[in-house]
Amino acid sequence: MAPPSGLHQSAIPADFEAPFPPLVRSSTVPAGPKLHRSDPSHLSPEDAYASFSPPRRLGGFDSGGNGSGTDSRPGRTRHKDTARSRSRRRKRFQKLLWVKQSYPDNYTDQATFLENLQRNPRVRPYDFWPLVADSTVIVQHVCSVIIFVVCFVGIFQERVSPVSVVGWSSFATFLGWLLWDWWVTKESPGGSGDEDEDARARMIRDRRASKEFRPPRRQDSSGLEQPVLNASTVSISSVSNFPSAASSTSNLLQDHSHTQRSSHPLGSNTHNSGLLVPAHAHSRSASSINSIASQASAANSPTTTTTTTRLGPDGADHGGEPTPSPIARNGRAYVRLSTIKSAILIYFTLLGLSPILKSLTRSTSSDSIWAMSFWLLALNVFFFDYSGGGRAGSAPTTTSTTSTTSTTTTTGTHSSSKQMPVASLSTNAALMASTVLASRLPSTGQVFSLTLFSIEVFGLFPVFRQYARRRSWRYHVVLTVLLVLGAGAGVGMILGDERGWPWKKGLLGMVVGCLIAALAMGGCSWWLIGLQKYKNEIYGPWDPARPIIISRRHWDDD
Amino acid sequence: MAPTYNIAMVSDFFFPQPGGVESHIYQLSSKLRDRGHKVIIITHAYKGRTGVRYLTNGLKVYHVPFFVLYRSASFPTVFSFFPIFRNIILRERIDIVHGHASLSSLCHEAILHARTMGLRTVYTDHSLFGFADAASIFANKLLKFSLSDVDHVICVSHTCKENTVLRASLDPLMVSVIPNAVVAENFRPLDYTEPSPRSFTPHHPPPARPLGPHDMITIVVISRLFYNKGTDLLTAAIPRILQNHPHTRFIIAGDGPKAIDLEQMIERNVLQDRVEMLGPIRHEEVRDVMVRGHIYLHPSLTEAFGTVIVEAASCGLYVVCTQVGGIPEVLPSHMTVFAKPEEDDLVTATGKAIAALRANKVRTELFHEQVKSMYSWTNVAMRAERVYNGISGAISEAEFYGYDAANGAGSWSATRGRSGVQSFALIDRLKRYYGCGTWAGKLFCLCVIVDYLIFLALELWFPRDRIDICPDWPRKDRKVDGKDGG
Repeated sequence: MAPPSGLHQSAIPADFEAPFPPLVRSSTVPAGPKLHRSDPSHLSPEDAYASFSPPRRLGGFDSGGNGSGTDSRPGRTRHKDTARSRSRRRKRFQKLLWVKQSYPDNYTDQATFLENLQRNPRVRPYDFWPLVADSTVIVQHVCSVIIFVVCFVGIFQERVSPVSVVGWSSFATFLGWLLWDWWVTKESPGGSGDEDEDARARMIRDRRASKEFRPPRRQDSSGLEQPVLNASTVSISSVSNFPSAASSTSNLLQDHSHTQRSSHPLGSNTHNSGLLVPAHAHSRSASSINSIASQASAANSPTTTTTTTRLGPDGADHGGEPTPSPIARNGRAYVRLSTIKSAILIYFTLLGLSPILKSLTRSTSSDSIWAMSFWLLALNVFFFDYSGGGRAGSAPTTTSTTSTTSTTTTTGTHSSSKQMPVASLSTNAALMASTVLASRLPSTGQVFSLTLFSIEVFGLFPVFRQYARRRSWRYHVVLTVLLVLGAGAGVGMILGDERGWPWKKGLLGMVVGCLIAALAMGGCSWWLIGLQKYKNEIYGPWDPARPIIISRRHWDDD
Repeated sequence: MAPTYNIAMVSDFFFPQPGGVESHIYQLSSKLRDRGHKVIIITHAYKGRTGVRYLTNGLKVYHVPFFVLYRSASFPTVFSFFPIFRNIILRERIDIVHGHASLSSLCHEAILHARTMGLRTVYTDHSLFGFADAASIFANKLLKFSLSDVDHVICVSHTCKENTVLRASLDPLMVSVIPNAVVAENFRPLDYTEPSPRSFTPHHPPPARPLGPHDMITIVVISRLFYNKGTDLLTAAIPRILQNHPHTRFIIAGDGPKAIDLEQMIERNVLQDRVEMLGPIRHEEVRDVMVRGHIYLHPSLTEAFGTVIVEAASCGLYVVCTQVGGIPEVLPSHMTVFAKPEEDDLVTATGKAIAALRANKVRTELFHEQVKSMYSWTNVAMRAERVYNGISGAISEAEFYGYDAANGAGSWSATRGRSGVQSFALIDRLKRYYGCGTWAGKLFCLCVIVDYLIFLALELWFPRDRIDICPDWPRKDRKVDGKDGG
């Protein structure tokens, strides 16, 4: 990756000295580790790492067993010499079990002991600025949570009209949707985007690989479906959250998803037709994943059209010249219509539910509600899917893996499908928090506004943010700055006196917010880089090997 | 004349449960008995197997009632085992406690209590653990706890030794490598004739019937079908191997969660007549399955020793295995073809093995005698005996640890006290435990102190002179042995 910054270069040598003193087992002994190590015949574990130290002879081994341990000093040196000359006659020690060794069983060969040990082999050094850039994702989310809380407090203290909150936010949501829709349509049919190129290249590679050495099998079809899945997981991981939370309100919407699903096998069939793939069961399963995606994203199904429209050119690419399929064109209009329909549906359902929500927690004290909503929002922040499907799609930013995913030292393969429940947990927690908060509000209108606002903030806004980030780095930065300013101003105004001039407080809040954000981003990144020197991963032949199976891509994902 | 010992083998894993550790304990114990030692085995109660039992050769097994947590590993209650353990130890007049298997909490508790009671302890590690995931870190901490104060550790391979030394922060000199072995008589090739003892050297079994280019070559796989046994690799490789080599077939024995993948693969590729799945088989049947084949394929992803490939070679099979863990140490290169744990490489290696067999380059009929001379439980018992001698002071420290005792000025270290054996003084033991970690060290010290108090309480409430001494099974005469194994 990028060349390591100065900070990290200093961290690397420390890496090799600092973390292993605990291996000296007798560090509390009066003899002390120094003396312990100076004992020439005593091999301590860190000798294995210190390959720069000259190899010392382990004298005095005696397999013959003539019991000469009670030698006096000159005798001992002689004994050592004889041992050396004898060991010259000996066969070399081999790390083999079937050979009859001429060494005792507990012999530790200095040359070969722990020779295959690897320390931190897979560590990718962090750079400061990319890390800061990655942390903007977290800042964005925290800021949007803060803005939500500020709006609640504003509504609760009756300083802000709920209608204006929900009006402005709905207007912004609508604008965002238009923008997004425009991006999607611009991106999909032309097939000029990087992503399409990438997907197509990968597909061609897969196909070539499959033609080379294998009868058509399940893995082929899954390999072919993979770009499709990649495209759709982007939407699954984030979009699915929203309806799962609001599923009570949007059950009716599933009929859209059914029609949506029916369009999918069509797409995938056109694209499989070039090959003789008998694995219908599996192509069906792949498309059923798509249908899950479409079911999940029923409320804002434009994402699924990205998959269908992308399928068009790919299938056509195999057959002949690239022409956008008519299904995709029709699908787009249809999807827009269904999105509007579902939005209206949600609107009215919420309107109907608001009186019930209002009296939901009447018997609970406010303190419990504050505590509960605090924990729920904390849950939301901690479990939010910050990776944003960055690993699946080829985001324009080079550092698409966020710090949260890259700090994990686990070696297991985790696909985005595994992260889905966690992400939906996050959104569910946020919606529950907003529900219990809304139930504190006195009037139906306020409850309705806050709930709708929360759906917009926690359900739709993350999707937009993520898309904006993938789309262009500039949008992302602008959005981050706006959010930080907004959150800062909001907190300033809320904390400020009610009588005073709120804008002054708001400006102050903005400044303080920016300062805090900068400090947090820079400080945490610096801290994380500083912590790297404690990283001590040990790999060796005892670790379970990671099988490389060509037919299944997800093994060598990371 | 070397002394004989009273040894207690402690492990959660013992018969009637089948497995590698179980048979290791049994074989080692019976060979040690043959060498004149007294051996008892302490394990937890299995269903239908409680109380005290005698096995062949007068091997006594105590089945201690214990709550079984998972896969016959007992529930780790640090102290609850102590009273009954002390009773058994005193009854049987045990000198050395030998624990087996790192996942056995019974073993670790026994080592702790035995040290409190002032006995010598040995621990045998049979498995490999990583360092990456949280479960391993926890397990390694516990291992460090119990091995802080062990006298000697035995590992089954050099890789296992490296792993254990790192996991438990041990002095490498107090870790011996003593491999597993096979009972070669149970793993004979199909048309095996016992060589007459008189004319041993020139006699070799006649070369097997040479394989023609169209003779069927059978590849045998016997393993539990788990992820870490490499069943995914196997599933991916089988169709390609069968496609590349027309006159081959597979026999797969074993069961596990990945069996369904294999079956799907067979159905998808319509290989029912070329892949035979036998399902779970018992250990006694392994040989009968093995002798049906020519090649043994072992796609495991991690393996401390890999007894099964030794068994396969003993049956006269050419072995194809992945180069992981301790496997490269186990067999000489003329018996094996190594592959990287990759689908392509496994296919290539199997192809090489098939080609070598078809060219009749491999004298598989000689394998049995060779394996027999490499691995025997008698040898294992001899080497274990050297460990017992070393820790109990029968061999001098210089000889056992390979350096002269007078070298370090005070000749005192925490790992080994005076005269080459670990001191039993509570304060010395506490020093060893204290080094385990900032918090863990203190916690471990607390445990040790509590254990010691329990010991004192037991001495008060159940005094030693009130415990019956049980009569010994008549010991065998100690066989004349060559000096200690090496």
